[in-house]
Amino acid sequence: MIKNYLKIAWRNIVNNKVYSAINILGLAAGMAVALIIGLWVVNEYSFDKFLPNYKQLYQVELNFTTQHDGEHTQTAMAIPLVDVMRKEIPGIKYAAETDWVGWQWHSLVVGDKKLYLNGGAAAPDFLKIFQYPFVKGSAKDALTDPYSIVLNESTAKALFGNADPINKFIRIDNQQNLKVTGVIKDIPKNATKQFTFLTPFSFKEQTESWMKSARTTWTNNSFNAFVELQPGVTVEQIAPKIKNLVYEHSPQMRPGKPEVILHPLKDWHLYSDFKNGKAVGGFIDYVRMFSIIGILVLLIACINFMNLSTARSERRAREVGVRKAIGSQRSDLITQFLAESMLITFIAFLFSILFVQLALPYFNSLVDSAISIPYTNSIFWGIMLIYVLLTGLLAGSRPAFYLSSFNPVKVLKGSIKEGKSASLPRKILVVTQFSCSIALIISTIIVYQQIQHAKDRPTGYNAARLMMTDMSGDLNTKYDALKNDLLASGYIESVAAASSPVTNIYSHMSLDKWPGKSASDEAVNIAAVFVSDDYFKTLGMTLKEGRDFTHSWTADSTSVILNEAAVKRIGLKNPINQLVTWNGNTVPVRVIGVVKDALMDSPFTPVEPAIFSHGHVANNIMYRLLPNANTQDAIKNLTKIFDSYNPAYPYIYQFVDEEYNHKFNLEILVGKLAGIFAGLAILISCLGLFGLAAYVAEQRTKEIGIRKVLGASVSQVWLLLSKDFILLVGISCIIASPVAFYFPQHWLQKYDYRITIGPVVFVLSAIAAIVITLITISFQAIKAALTNPVKSLRSE
Amino acid sequence: MLSLQHISKYYQVSGLKNFVLNDLSLEIDQGEFVSIMGPSGSGKSSLLNIIGMLDEPSEGYHYFAGHAVHQLKEKQRSALYKQYIGFVFQAYHLIDELTVYENIETPLIYQDFKGAERKAMVADILDRFNIVGKKDLFPAQLSGGQQQLVGIARALIAKPKLLLADEPTGNLNSKQGEEIMELFRKLNKEDGVTIIQVTHSEKNAEYGSRIINLLDGKIESSKQL
Ligand SMILES: Nc1ncnc2c1ncn2[C@@H]1O[C@H](COP(=O)(O)OP(=O)(O)O)[C@@H](O)[C@H]1O
Ligand SMILES: [Mg+2]
Repeated sequence: MIKNYLKIAWRNIVNNKVYSAINILGLAAGMAVALIIGLWVVNEYSFDKFLPNYKQLYQVELNFTTQHDGEHTQTAMAIPLVDVMRKEIPGIKYAAETDWVGWQWHSLVVGDKKLYLNGGAAAPDFLKIFQYPFVKGSAKDALTDPYSIVLNESTAKALFGNADPINKFIRIDNQQNLKVTGVIKDIPKNATKQFTFLTPFSFKEQTESWMKSARTTWTNNSFNAFVELQPGVTVEQIAPKIKNLVYEHSPQMRPGKPEVILHPLKDWHLYSDFKNGKAVGGFIDYVRMFSIIGILVLLIACINFMNLSTARSERRAREVGVRKAIGSQRSDLITQFLAESMLITFIAFLFSILFVQLALPYFNSLVDSAISIPYTNSIFWGIMLIYVLLTGLLAGSRPAFYLSSFNPVKVLKGSIKEGKSASLPRKILVVTQFSCSIALIISTIIVYQQIQHAKDRPTGYNAARLMMTDMSGDLNTKYDALKNDLLASGYIESVAAASSPVTNIYSHMSLDKWPGKSASDEAVNIAAVFVSDDYFKTLGMTLKEGRDFTHSWTADSTSVILNEAAVKRIGLKNPINQLVTWNGNTVPVRVIGVVKDALMDSPFTPVEPAIFSHGHVANNIMYRLLPNANTQDAIKNLTKIFDSYNPAYPYIYQFVDEEYNHKFNLEILVGKLAGIFAGLAILISCLGLFGLAAYVAEQRTKEIGIRKVLGASVSQVWLLLSKDFILLVGISCIIASPVAFYFPQHWLQKYDYRITIGPVVFVLSAIAAIVITLITISFQAIKAALTNPVKSLRSE
Repeated sequence: MLSLQHISKYYQVSGLKNFVLNDLSLEIDQGEFVSIMGPSGSGKSSLLNIIGMLDEPSEGYHYFAGHAVHQLKEKQRSALYKQYIGFVFQAYHLIDELTVYENIETPLIYQDFKGAERKAMVADILDRFNIVGKKDLFPAQLSGGQQQLVGIARALIAKPKLLLADEPTGNLNSKQGEEIMELFRKLNKEDGVTIIQVTHSEKNAEYGSRIINLLDGKIESSKQL
């Protein structure tokens, strides 16, 4: 029986090619969107779960509560805390201190191979906590010798080629030789923590002078820590035991009311936004958002199927009547029509697999992932089977129940003219489709408006032709000479050095006392940047009042410059020449200038209060090309200069404007994805509309013929056929608008610096939707209007 | 075989009952060949549809092969119908997407015959109707007479006890019509199939054993031949 059904279904597909193509391709596109989003969601949920025992792994984080900033959570903590957790807290199996693994750039040199890579320093237990699979060596002893290094596979390959790297030496930062004791597999893309090598934490402690007292200093919050809990021990059991460790051990830290918390590994990727000391969300919001979008697009595609199938019901009605007259029960017919939609869904599914396969390379590069269709995974195929069945059911049940309900006597007499009962649900479905599509389009436009709004925000500095380079190796000590050479090269307009790059703030310190501070005022957490002279000039920041630092490194050692936000925060009147104390020092420093606010961090947050001090502790050198300099030539020249000062490091540079643009990556990604899916949603909707318009034109052929004989013009016929659809799309715009206001409005709350949603976007989207609709249906309408009426009347 | 008692069928038109069949009673015995005649709109098709359980009367009692049809549920009625009745239409009503063979086979599928059995039965009837050569053609490739032949073959394939035919020759020329009538007579005489046909042709009506004349939803006259 099923064979018979499928046979007739197949013949129907083949005999109605246009209609079948619309049905199958629309459904395939919808299924492909849902499938690719599904694969992406699974990928997002898979983050970090490749690590054995991932459920017991945590990062140690600290909550601070301050008067000016409220409660905030940071990963930076001090080493003594790790020692206490390791030794005194039962239930903690391993604890490992690290520096900013993945964010520490070092030069690795073997022979003539120079690499500048991101890695970090970690205590030996780090590799027991995170059981990255080893290709060579083992987690047990890989980081025990202070002068050892663990590489990932591609780094080992890049440095040693195919030779066995174990026990070979690498020169790091042109200072020490480290012996390779282990090679781990490359960290997969779906891991939060990405790094290319690890050095022992003991190496850092032995070779970096500032680390000397770090192991005993509770206030040196410059490190990260990770723990593994004993099997069976829960975070709820540990939390109360560790909560007050910092508070109890460190009187100096008490003003910030520090609380120690554990952030589970499984939440790192999706729940990384902290509010009031708790992980409240993060990327999960986007995962949910796109899940909903995927389901909506699939629904839109299914609606096409329902509408086209029921619209064509007149053609199938006679078959229903005959089948009932020769003994079919309604349930047989329901089975038949469901089998038919299953067949179409299955064909559409095959196309959707093809579409996904073709789209994946582009999608992967867009979202920076390594998603593939798991062809060999039987669970995947099981889920796909359910997917096809559910989609077929969703798309096919309404047509099946509708078509099978026909009364055979009526349809065989030919008196089934579909009335209001069928066309009203169809109209509701069309409105549903277009409401979703239009809401998606409006939301996408709002995302782009927000991006543009933030991009248009004045940065307070001039990023054009401004470059920066890490102050690695010997550059810092040779800064003055380097600066002179750069200026003499003929390519550089201005040079400066600072403790953080233009686009980031590396350190925060406390502004402790200032004139007019009341007894209840707490110290202010303030962004601290140590800068050379010419810093503001090089960056193009403007002094509001006062003066810049002088060329002498020593003359301004007790002078600071504040930004406007800092002045405002502490309410300083006439700031110039006022004395303030900061960073726990007892000796006050003099405010010599106030600089206008510049965006040194996120373009979406308010400018933080900042203090600039004249100091020789630079991490970055920034320099601006002369306006007429040829970039290629300049870089060739700069490479020579930098190489001569820093032979152990490759010359690596960044353009500030590019770095700044990276700050919009997430938003641009969201905008692009939303745009693509919104585009597909409207495309699929229009495909359905195209089919419906064809059907309506066909149904009204005779009427159109008579009207034309009576003298109707082409445009009158066109209007006649178009106005119903325009009305539906108009209603959709009205329904979509509040939805498309609510959700983007909610999303915008993430941003301090944000647009207010205006009416323009709604009006423009409505116009666009109506224009698109007109284009879609006009083809059919005009075709019908141009048909020779004699022809259509004769066929009756 | 079947008995209709005080059957009425009406449609509500702006609140008024518009009677199509009006308090009509009729008995038909096993083995009869009944021709129903009457002017257009007199209710012939309506009557046939009610007998064939495709439609329900508005009022009245309907007994068929010992069952009170008016009391049966849709499913039971459908089972009864499948077992006893075959339908032939004026407009043939073959399924365009199915071949001749498949059209004839379809009722058997609904009656859950096994594949091998179906094959044998369809082959047999194709042979009997002399349309073996046409079995893989689609309806659109046949003449009207051939289509009606297929329609009758389809109605008979499951060996119904009662054959209902609504103007089976209405779209055919007189020679084709005669062939169909001969076939009906043979079915009635040799196979004992009870036949009720609606016809406009006196000549065709006389193939039957009884002629019933309908007028305005009532039996105007009935004569045994
Ligand atoms: N669905 C319906 N609604 C209203 N009137 C109907 C309907 N179906 C049939 N009729 C009416 O019933 C009457 C009898 O129809 P029918 O049984 O087809 O007559 P016949 O077959 O004798 O020509 C006709 O007058 C027709 O208009
Ligand atoms: Mg009739």
